Amino acid sequence: MSAGTIADERSDAAVVEPESDVRSHTRLWQRLARRPLSLTCIAYLVLLFVLAIGAPLVAPYDPFHPDIKLRLQGPSAVHWLGTDDLGRDTLSRLIFGARTALLASFQSVSFGAVVGITTGLVVGYLGGWFDRIAMRVADVMQSIPAVLLALALIGVLGKGLGNAMLAVGVIFSVSFMRITRAVVLAEKEQLYVDAARVLGLRTLSIMLRQILPNISPPLIVQASIALGTALLIEAMLSFLGVGIDSTQVSWGAMLETARQFQSQQPLLPIFPGLAITLSVLAFNLLGDSLRDATLPTGATAESSISRRTVAPFAVSPTSVHRPEAPADALLAVSGLTVAAPRPGGGSAELLSDVSFHVMRGETLGLVGESGCGKSMTALAVMGLLPPAVSIAAGSIRLAGTELAGLDDDAMRQVRGRRVGMVFQEPMAALSPVHTVGRQISDAVRAHTGLGRRQALARAAELLALVGVPDPHRRLQDYPHQFSGGMAQRVVIAGALACEPELLIADEPTTALDVTIQAQVLDLLMDLRQRLSMSVLLITHDLGVVADACDRLAVMYGGEVVETGNVEATFSHPRHPYTAALLAAMPRGEGVGSRLATIPGRVPPAWAWPQGCRFHPRCAHAVAACRQEPNILRHGVRCRRADELTLTDAR
Amino acid sequence: MRRLLLTRLLSVVPMLFFVSLFTFLLVRLTATDPVAQILGQSASNEDRAEYAHRLGLDRPLADQFLGWVGSALQGDLGNSLYTNLPVAESISDRFGVTLSLALAGMLFALVVGIPVGIAGALRHGSRWDRLLTIVVSTGLAVPSIWLALLLSLVFAVTLRWFQVIGYTPFAESPLLWAWGLVLPAIALGIHTAAVIARQTRSAMIEVLHARYIQALRARGLPQRRIVLLYATKNALVPVLSVIAIQMSVLVGVSFVIERIFAIPGLGTLLIDSVVRADFPVLQGTVVVVAFVVLVVNLLTDIAYGVINPKVRPQ
Repeated sequence: MSAGTIADERSDAAVVEPESDVRSHTRLWQRLARRPLSLTCIAYLVLLFVLAIGAPLVAPYDPFHPDIKLRLQGPSAVHWLGTDDLGRDTLSRLIFGARTALLASFQSVSFGAVVGITTGLVVGYLGGWFDRIAMRVADVMQSIPAVLLALALIGVLGKGLGNAMLAVGVIFSVSFMRITRAVVLAEKEQLYVDAARVLGLRTLSIMLRQILPNISPPLIVQASIALGTALLIEAMLSFLGVGIDSTQVSWGAMLETARQFQSQQPLLPIFPGLAITLSVLAFNLLGDSLRDATLPTGATAESSISRRTVAPFAVSPTSVHRPEAPADALLAVSGLTVAAPRPGGGSAELLSDVSFHVMRGETLGLVGESGCGKSMTALAVMGLLPPAVSIAAGSIRLAGTELAGLDDDAMRQVRGRRVGMVFQEPMAALSPVHTVGRQISDAVRAHTGLGRRQALARAAELLALVGVPDPHRRLQDYPHQFSGGMAQRVVIAGALACEPELLIADEPTTALDVTIQAQVLDLLMDLRQRLSMSVLLITHDLGVVADACDRLAVMYGGEVVETGNVEATFSHPRHPYTAALLAAMPRGEGVGSRLATIPGRVPPAWAWPQGCRFHPRCAHAVAACRQEPNILRHGVRCRRADELTLTDAR
Repeated sequence: MRRLLLTRLLSVVPMLFFVSLFTFLLVRLTATDPVAQILGQSASNEDRAEYAHRLGLDRPLADQFLGWVGSALQGDLGNSLYTNLPVAESISDRFGVTLSLALAGMLFALVVGIPVGIAGALRHGSRWDRLLTIVVSTGLAVPSIWLALLLSLVFAVTLRWFQVIGYTPFAESPLLWAWGLVLPAIALGIHTAAVIARQTRSAMIEVLHARYIQALRARGLPQRRIVLLYATKNALVPVLSVIAIQMSVLVGVSFVIERIFAIPGLGTLLIDSVVRADFPVLQGTVVVVAFVVLVVNLLTDIAYGVINPKVRPQ
């Protein structure tokens, strides 16, 4: 659900991505055209090109014509942007300067691209020694600053813009080579190149026909940014007086003039500086837009979601009538509805009318397939919903205190102190660059007044409690020094820092080795007993529920469809989905027999079907199921619960 | 850790050798004849030959190169063809100046770039973030030379807060030294600050979505502590590799900034040697600068090891 689903959608989009080149290119231009910013950049650059090409026609004056009487003028009707120290027209010099700037940029970038891409293709494809030598050379080149290399080459080859830009091109070729090589290495492994090889295409044609179209997007982006960089370097070299000769005008050389005379005419540096900045900015922003446009669509959809926020908590928690949880329940969730903005606009309910409770000392199993809203429910209880997702209605009470609608500061007093949480992948739940001792002791210190040393001692106690051998020494270790099972014990220790009343364990054993799973589950059950906690155990594994839970709540499509005692529910499921889950549960006795599966898959939140959300996959659905949604009645959300006899199919 | 250090340290040696060879070949194979440059067109052939012999330019190339390497190892980088001053001495006089400037630029870039990147990431997608993104894109596009001119025009020429040109050595007055570096460092560091801000922002956005950040929140840690201590350290790992590359850029651009503020660093020496085809100076400067960049890269690698325990050999 939620962040998970969005991410899944994105990866789906990424999988579909390799498409025919023609299509992706037209799409690219369409996407670019839809952004006003990239259109502005393109328009500016086109204008610059037109001015550069048509400079002799467009420019009002000869850029070299001196007029000593009108030197260092400010803007006027005669000279729109004023004049320089020799009385030459600034506007005309700017227009001719565009020629130099664009010519120099394109010279260096095309030289760099041709040399770099060719080398990259060759060394990437051939690999071995070619590759190693080329990469060493690239390292050497990168240890010499670009300006230094350009200056050195000019020193050797003689002054002049051509030489200067050749030098800059040499530098660019390194980055083009690196990108090409990286893409070639990745693409080389792909099936289609192998397929082409089998078809008998020669190596060269494979490289050109198959790989080249696929590496063009990153290279176009790189070229666009390199053009901006080249423009900057040209300005710098001309500024130093080693670039252009006397027949050329450069924005950089205009800045050098400005350096000498700016105390007399402060406007002198403004226009060439602006011209450089705007042109570089246009190339850079165009590069960024190209980069964004070549990304899979899902990625942009996600960022647009995170920009919007839903008004939090619109409906008062008491306004909806709910089946009452027992008054002494530790956690009572009722009528919980959680909504998120949809990719296309509007909002979607990720959770609808979720109600369940956990008694003190009890373990409740929250079960269902992936995408049913189990984790989202846990995050809602913790007050850790993703930014755009919010509680739209319902109530979450912890020992009688309402949690829904609490601000983050107030929730912080609940998180870690009264409710602890354990996550699916222990390695992902620990910061890789902080010691384990630091992470656990910080959790201790967040809720107690303990000093650093005392908190570390407490952390060692906690590690001992969860069965990590040699706890004092291991406090200094980093997460990657732990095995998966040990890392999960560390995460559990962090969650237990303040002996919470409720522990939420979100698929705590799923990512672990089968042999370790039972150990971690036993540890949890043992800790529940010793610390007299309640546990909300989220799992898709009914075997785990059978082993560890007192009661269960089954979720489907963001709703609770059945709750009850584990034994009773296992022997007499009342909802068809529960029955289907039970039927799909692997058991020791049926070795070799075919495992029953539930046909179809859980739809995403914005595509819940009308009526009962399970009806498209339900074997018992009738016409009414397709139209009218069900409500949770006597612990089951099925209108046919009373008439159906759902026993285990086996 | 020690082994990592040692292998990285050793890898500098062949890199330096190749940089030297590369520059040497570039200079000797493609260049115009320095003798003709110095003596002029009118000199007789005997004079030229004698002069070339005096400079050792008539020896075989390999001989010349190995000779250069041999004396370079003893700290002798030859003498300038023009001033006849020892190159090593000229470089060491100016080396500290260039290093001060480059490090000051880096300091500015880090102090500005990292907080700006973090600020954008924390309010990812907000109006504030979009504004910062525009500022950062502009920072990437502004030419340092222009910024230097404008800063000097406003703060030195007009407001007279700073000297317009010149440099005070650290030994003379640490305070004036630091004050004098402020404007050059800002002009020099702005581009790098923008690069670092960009990198920090994207690294931080990724880190803030990480599960361990959620886990820290689930343990009830204050948001400020999570951001400052946990997220930032994780986000800095990829930023460090950018810093290494940027150091080389900063050294290069510092040559141009020197010129504007009349700071006597390696840049002036280098540009003069380029204009006059003074090969020993050119060669010496390139190798020394490459050496500095390699050392900075090495230091960054070590810092990388300190901040990211995974790359430390067990």
